Amino acid sequence: MKNPLYYKSKKILVNTLIHIFLISVAITCLYPLLWMVSSSLKTQDMIFKDISLIPHQFRLENYVLAWKEGGFGRNFFNSIIYTVSVVFGIVIISSMAAYAFSRLRFVGSKFLFVMFMAAMMIPIPGSFVALYVLLNKLHLRNTPIGYILCMINVGLSTSIFLLKTFFDKMPKELEDAARIDGCSKVGIWWHVALPLAKPVLAVVIVFNALAVWNEYILALIIFDDRSFMPLQVALQSFQGEFVTNYPLLMAGLTITALPIILVYLLMQKYIIKGVTAGAVVG
Amino acid sequence: MWCKKALAAVLVLFSVLGCAAQKTDSKPTISVWHWMTDRDPAFQELAKKYEALTGVKVNFELYAPSDAYSQKIRAAAQGTNLPDVFGILGEKRDFASFIKAGHILDLTSYMEANDSAWKNSFFPKALAVNEFAPQNSYGINPGIYAVPIDIMTIQMVYNKKLFAQLGLNPNHPPKTLQEFLDTGAKIKAAGMQGLVSGWGEVWMIDCLANNFAFNIMGKDKVLATIKGEVPYTDPDWIRVLTIFKEMKESGVLAQGLVTMINKSAEQLFANDKAVYAFNGSWCVNVYKGMNPSLEYSAMLPPAASDKYPIAIWGGAGSSFMVNARSKNKEEAVKFLVWLTGQDQQAYLAAATNNLPANRNSLSKIPEVLAQFARGMDYATHPNVWGVSEFSLVIEAWDRGIQSIIIGEKTPEQVAEEVQKIKERELAKKRAQ
Repeated sequence: MKNPLYYKSKKILVNTLIHIFLISVAITCLYPLLWMVSSSLKTQDMIFKDISLIPHQFRLENYVLAWKEGGFGRNFFNSIIYTVSVVFGIVIISSMAAYAFSRLRFVGSKFLFVMFMAAMMIPIPGSFVALYVLLNKLHLRNTPIGYILCMINVGLSTSIFLLKTFFDKMPKELEDAARIDGCSKVGIWWHVALPLAKPVLAVVIVFNALAVWNEYILALIIFDDRSFMPLQVALQSFQGEFVTNYPLLMAGLTITALPIILVYLLMQKYIIKGVTAGAVVG
Repeated sequence: MWCKKALAAVLVLFSVLGCAAQKTDSKPTISVWHWMTDRDPAFQELAKKYEALTGVKVNFELYAPSDAYSQKIRAAAQGTNLPDVFGILGEKRDFASFIKAGHILDLTSYMEANDSAWKNSFFPKALAVNEFAPQNSYGINPGIYAVPIDIMTIQMVYNKKLFAQLGLNPNHPPKTLQEFLDTGAKIKAAGMQGLVSGWGEVWMIDCLANNFAFNIMGKDKVLATIKGEVPYTDPDWIRVLTIFKEMKESGVLAQGLVTMINKSAEQLFANDKAVYAFNGSWCVNVYKGMNPSLEYSAMLPPAASDKYPIAIWGGAGSSFMVNARSKNKEEAVKFLVWLTGQDQQAYLAAATNNLPANRNSLSKIPEVLAQFARGMDYATHPNVWGVSEFSLVIEAWDRGIQSIIIGEKTPEQVAEEVQKIKERELAKKRAQ
């Protein structure tokens, strides 16, 4: 039996080490964000000369310039439309498909599910040319609807996987009770399955919203018309082959990051619960 | 009920967005796709001038960054949706594949019209990159297939303020290798950093080594080596490798140079922390952004021998091609003729700090840009040699120079290793 001082010292030491580790991780995560905000308030030459995080002079006009020169107004609206449409489409289609894969028995269901999962393995850039040619043939290239359909397609596999894993673990008795109360299959999906799947749906919403909000290569390939481009494409206008306009780029990035940070904060309480329920348990 | 309403709303939204794409515009326009973010405002300004002058509207569409632009161009080529004018990023074989697929118009007849007036307005070496010679290895009909918009040369720059602090004449940079090496002792004694460059991105080492090789043994012997007729163990090649050892020993190279990326090198030089830099002409714009008050000048790499002239890498920086399938191709060519005219080129150079492709525009540009442009007299580029070295040999050569600089290997060892790889690759090629 060791004396209490030993256990107390051991606990303090372990806690200190854990906190040092966690603080280091937090600093490495936060530092780039702080640098981004700090640089967005400096001039181009000050970014290279003055390495301190607090600028000597705050150039708030960088935000106004970034908004005007990047043409953020229209692109910001486009990004919101694309993100809302794609996330809504993915939530509806993937939850229906996942429920069907989990509860309905039909010929080829396993094969279809495997096919969906296989789609997760295909790197998106590898399919760009094929998508371009397909949209061209369907006369959907250079149209927002073509882009939205592509992005819904991109997000379906992972979302179906997360939701199916959750529905597989959902007690069947709840559905039986709903059926006795006169619910149809669609009614059970809407009134029973979806409300219970809120934590997983939160994960699906946040992950897909992030993916759509940050996407720009597919948009750049599909759209010829700049008025259809999302916000991320506007950011590229500050980044040249050899020269980058860092103050405006960082101001633009700060503006771009705000909405998605807001979505994350609103959904935060569901995230950990959802990832555990949907991905890890399965 | 709520679900139905939401679905209906999304369907209405999709329909509206779908309809919004159908745009009609009866006015004829020339569409230009490019990736040059820094040049876009100047292009837009020139497009306005052209419309005011001719009534023809030109739409410059910027798609950056360059790798995403390349994907867009490839996808558009697959779907035959290329614009009237575009650029291709990549090697000459990519350029050739677009010509073979019928996407690019042969501009030779336009270039040679009116006693080759258009052709003669360019630096010949800028056009060479866009030209396919008779019996070229790509199987392309000889001719000129693209128009250079600007040019670039890769040279050395030196910091005038640090030169004065070292007691050196800021108006007389070292011309010979010995003079250059002699500055190393002063740099070391003053505790300064010498030459900085992106030698972590190894192609820049290859570039400087090639400059010395052309100077020591001449173009013919360099090309004979690439063809496999001269070994890398030849004394001239060992001399080229030895220069890097001498530079290291003299103290003229900055610390950490072998792993340095060009962005870090540019930052060091722009902030008066390095005496020399080896960089491309694009650096003028970069340094201007990082430190507008930087006092510097361009210089040719120091000559290691007086047997052959020094050579530097240079040629067309960016080029535009005309879509051979475009219904506006004649208008597109007319626009490119105007865009590469003396005044437009001078405007582009002044607005973007890139070197003009039109050689008559030099008198209207800042001195440091003109210094880089004058380097075109010494310019060469692997794309115009007609033969190319095996990539494994280039890699072994560049890595070998890095090991010489860090003192891991001797020039003789590196030469032997490179020659072994060369022989292996030649044997493989013969066996095919």
